[in-house]
Amino acid sequence: MPPPRTREGRGHRDHHRAPHEEETPERWDWNHPETRRLLEDTFFRDEEYIRQGSEECQKFWAFFERFQRFQNLKTARKEEQDPGPPKHSIPALADLPRTYDPRYRINLSVLGPDTRGSREPGRRLPPERVAEFRRALLHYLDFGQKQAFGRLAKLQRERAALPIAQYGKRILQTLKEHQVVVVAGDTGCGKSTQVPQYLLAAGFSHVACTQPRRIACISLAKRVGFESLSQYGSQVGYQIRFESTRSAATKIVFLTVGLLLRQIQREPSLPQYQVLIVDEVHERHLHNDFLLGVLRRLLPQRPDLKVVLMSATINIALFSSYFGGAPVVQVPGRLFPITIVYQPPEVEPATAKSEKLDPRPFLRVLEAIDNKYPPEERGDLLVFLSGMAEISAVLEAAQTYASHTQRWVVLPLHSTLSVADQDKVFDVAPPGVRKCILSTNIAETSVTIDGIRFVVDSGKVKEMSYDPQAKLQRLQEFWISQASAEQRKGRAGRTGPGVCFRLYAESDYDAFAPYPVPEIRRVALDALVLQMKSMSLGDPRAFPFIEPPPPASLETAILYLRDQGALDGTEALTPIGSLLAQLPVDVVIGKMLVLGSTFHLAEPVLTIAAALSVQSPFTRSAQSNPECAAARRPLESDQGDPFTLFNIFNTWVQVKSERSRNSRKWCRRRGIEEHRLYEMANLRRQFKDLLEDHVLLAGTEAPRPGDSYSRLQQRRERQALYQLKRQHEEGAGRRRKVLRLQEEQDGASSDEDRGATADQDSCDSVDIQDVKFKLRHNLEQLQAAASSAQDLSRDQMALLKLVLGRGLYPQLAVPDPFNSGCKDSDQIFHTQTKQGTVLHPTCVFAGSPEVLHTQEPESRASDGSRDDKDKMSSKHQLLTFVSLLETNKPYLVNCVRVPALQHSNNVYDRDFEELGHVIVGPEGYTELKVQDDFLEEWRDLRTKGRVPKGWRWKGQIQTSNREQGRGLQEQLDPGADGVSESTSHHILSLFPQVPYSLRRLTGLEVQNLYVGPQTITAAPSLPGLFGSSTLSPHPSKGGYTVTDFLTYNCLTSDTDLYSDCLRTFWTCPHCDLHMPFTPLERITHENTCPNAPQGGSPGAEEADPEPLQKASALQRPYHCETCQKDFMFTPTEVLRHRKQHV
Amino acid sequence: MASEAERRPQGMFECQLCALSAPYSYVGQKPPDTRSVVLLEESYILKDPFTADRDKFLVLGSRCSVCSRLVCVGPECSLFYSKRFCLPCVRENIAAFPQEIRQDVEKRKALAKMPHVKP
Ligand SMILES: [Zn+2]
Ligand SMILES: [Zn+2]
Repeated sequence: MPPPRTREGRGHRDHHRAPHEEETPERWDWNHPETRRLLEDTFFRDEEYIRQGSEECQKFWAFFERFQRFQNLKTARKEEQDPGPPKHSIPALADLPRTYDPRYRINLSVLGPDTRGSREPGRRLPPERVAEFRRALLHYLDFGQKQAFGRLAKLQRERAALPIAQYGKRILQTLKEHQVVVVAGDTGCGKSTQVPQYLLAAGFSHVACTQPRRIACISLAKRVGFESLSQYGSQVGYQIRFESTRSAATKIVFLTVGLLLRQIQREPSLPQYQVLIVDEVHERHLHNDFLLGVLRRLLPQRPDLKVVLMSATINIALFSSYFGGAPVVQVPGRLFPITIVYQPPEVEPATAKSEKLDPRPFLRVLEAIDNKYPPEERGDLLVFLSGMAEISAVLEAAQTYASHTQRWVVLPLHSTLSVADQDKVFDVAPPGVRKCILSTNIAETSVTIDGIRFVVDSGKVKEMSYDPQAKLQRLQEFWISQASAEQRKGRAGRTGPGVCFRLYAESDYDAFAPYPVPEIRRVALDALVLQMKSMSLGDPRAFPFIEPPPPASLETAILYLRDQGALDGTEALTPIGSLLAQLPVDVVIGKMLVLGSTFHLAEPVLTIAAALSVQSPFTRSAQSNPECAAARRPLESDQGDPFTLFNIFNTWVQVKSERSRNSRKWCRRRGIEEHRLYEMANLRRQFKDLLEDHVLLAGTEAPRPGDSYSRLQQRRERQALYQLKRQHEEGAGRRRKVLRLQEEQDGASSDEDRGATADQDSCDSVDIQDVKFKLRHNLEQLQAAASSAQDLSRDQMALLKLVLGRGLYPQLAVPDPFNSGCKDSDQIFHTQTKQGTVLHPTCVFAGSPEVLHTQEPESRASDGSRDDKDKMSSKHQLLTFVSLLETNKPYLVNCVRVPALQHSNNVYDRDFEELGHVIVGPEGYTELKVQDDFLEEWRDLRTKGRVPKGWRWKGQIQTSNREQGRGLQEQLDPGADGVSESTSHHILSLFPQVPYSLRRLTGLEVQNLYVGPQTITAAPSLPGLFGSSTLSPHPSKGGYTVTDFLTYNCLTSDTDLYSDCLRTFWTCPHCDLHMPFTPLERITHENTCPNAPQGGSPGAEEADPEPLQKASALQRPYHCETCQKDFMFTPTEVLRHRKQHV
Repeated sequence: MASEAERRPQGMFECQLCALSAPYSYVGQKPPDTRSVVLLEESYILKDPFTADRDKFLVLGSRCSVCSRLVCVGPECSLFYSKRFCLPCVRENIAAFPQEIRQDVEKRKALAKMPHVKP
């Protein structure tokens, strides 16, 4: 009997098929593939609820088998006839079916095959089997509904049970009455996931929620999408540097603080948002602090904009009072009680004064847990250590312990681990075994691991600190703050009562600072100041920071930006500065990009700039694993680390473009974290777009395959990629695995690697990163760039180095003269600010420092001495480096070796460069001296190699906004000065044989290098010498500023250099004038020679084409001690005058 | 994206017994995007939020055919026996139902008393 209102069983055809079934009843087999195919053809066609061949279809058949077994059991029971109750007076109850049947309990119905017009396959199916099948299908659908509803109900219950759920109304109410609300609550109270949903439910539709980390943006958007039941809709989105899921329908977007700041940069009043949630303000990140300052200024202009600050319960009063006493809604966290055990390490007998951390106090905790808690009581251990070296020290000891007891799986956790290795901490330990996670402070706030019951807190943290004087980053170990100690402790009480072992005394805790030092007090502020300038926020010194940075940091940043030409003398943003402000990278890298495109080296420079802007792609294990090192060796460049990265990226692109090869495997074999290469590719693309926007690069058309067939092919490929991406997104997330015990893990790392490869390749045959990469980038274009990089000419390479060198200036280091006689590890280098730095162990030169030595046996310098001190050589080299990092030693990171004289004479700021005497550096700390007998040759060549003004860009450019972009390009264009590859050829071929000495001046020498500020301030009129420009006295060095990089007459030893004896005959190559000249007279002539090609030397463009006859132009102020009078004399006149007194 | 609009929330469904609430996108007996499945009651329906498959739906609840209360399909709030009945109405008229339903209602009462099932 059909249940009421169903449409099943209405088919008239049933009668015809009945006899057919009776003929072969015993041969019916539900499991026969043909049977199933017939049924699927009938019920599971393309537009049906379940589709043939889908995962759902498989699930159905599994359900079907269980259902059949269950039905057979039931029918075996006696059918008992219920007479049913008497007719009811309530109509709804009156017509209930008399006889119970489970199908009456299902609120849906499936249309029969007959109603769908599917005659063909259905005809061969006996109607009773069809009915049976349909009945199973109904139950399957009902089961699915119950399951999904169960999940929904559970989700809603859990949301309602969060501590913050009680406060939702209050938060909304407070926000109605105030512009700013502070929501304070500890981890686990649910603020990050719930507050956005409360706002959505209250009808807000333009909500932005900032997060300090990109990962959090993605995971929160997913979670909130899921919880608000619009996971697959578009209400909730995220936006991070290279990815966005935002659409017109998006009501709430999670984005990084940096990205929001860029939006403010474009539209200062932030018109696109109604509500702004600033999460994790207590973390005091540089950008977050800055954003708060920006908002405080913006709020009066946007009275309709609401701001919710979300913070852990740390220093809430600070945030509230900063926003004029904003109301605070305090939400209690959900923490179970935690026992604190203070366990300061006993004073150990000083075991060989090593810097290595003693793991014994940590092992004692493992032991104590093993002794006190039975293994059946679950609960893992989280150990907070200060850094990676400390983690490996404890890791080693803990693994040995674990292999004895078989009760622990020990896992490291830090930011340089590969993503896959980081994920392991979320896996589950087998029964009776605990996880011991050794972590840096990233597990304090960024990574939340469930199931932690025990915490060990070392009380230490390694943090970057910044020394503005030395422009040096230091990674130092500090005691943590009380706030951090509480955060660490709290990790033990998230899932149940816990224990926190503090490896320090309670009195230590009492002495801790209450809060961590905010980032703004610890880092270089160059980028921040630049951004502030580009947002027209006025004088950074007067900006109302929530807590101001150290004034010295601000001053250093401002000075640096002025030196780099990003700010002018009045501290206003220059056009170059505003371009640099839009590049999301360090100023140094930005300079490189601009120079690179100017010199037609955009492609390689894009790659190098991107490579230097992401974390090192080398995994830690790769450093220790000799196989990885060997596999990587062919990619190493003896020119320097940026070129190694350049090779890796290019080769990787080649691997990717070869269909058959697996780039993931390629990377793993070489100890490279592929994720970083994807980041490089993305960053590279972004740089390219920005440079194209500014017309520094001609827009590139994607190469289109000519014929329609290949176009079609390409479209198909893209469609296939999109489909793969969709499928992946629909698939479930990563499932938790059960960890193996340690001894297996240790067995052989390569084994594990292979295992992991097979594992990943089989269970997830789609490399989703690869798919995304191919969708985002034009692989052909990248490949073209990569393969052209492989045949960079020698000249291009030299020019590339000049670009890097100029970009990185003044970050250069002089090798110590004694290096060639020292061991690899004792090689030291001197920078302007720091003596005795060493190469970072990852640096390519650390293993082969000999490429940095001057190996010239024929060099005829300082007789017999083995060192390079004052050694005359034409092959001296300098190191230019990306950063200076101090841990236990000051390290140079990412070094490039450059030919000293060529670079000094072409790209570096220098003070004096005649007579083969070059002083390099803003404070003049490196001296190069050309060997006397080569002076002629050197002078001859130096003028030819001169790189044009565009090179220096300082103060040269007047415009840079988009409309005038072309103007900017022209001004930077080396073509205008006739410089291109031929220049680099010149530079390279110059001085190959000229021997010179290279040394770092001592502090005392530098002090006495300049004559210093002079009493006579009147600028001498020296027409013809440096063109018609008026010379202004240099305020600190003395002498006169000729150009921004040449100061004339400022060195104490100058006077002697112009004596007559140095006058030699010389023929001007341009006007054929043949005369005796002093060197200075000669550059004067060169600068003014009417026949000389333009742009040959600085200042030439303003040159008055005066002929040389006006030799008297060489007059300069002379103060005679004997007659106590001031004169204007030429050097010869000085000599003549002096003779009078003799 | 044609059906995007149809899947937009029409309003909030809220169970009058347990206060469970969720946005619904359709009310009726013929969920959008599904050809072969029909519902036997006027239901509040949401696109199944746990799958990306656009034609999977999730029935949130419907009105009790006795008291017209809007109730969710959760076992603590209602049951379906050829029509939707809220549990209070079932209990009140328990005699009208066959023995299988009576047993089931008893079982639910027992389950609801166990602490771990409670919210
Ligand atoms: Zn309910
Ligand atoms: Zn009712």
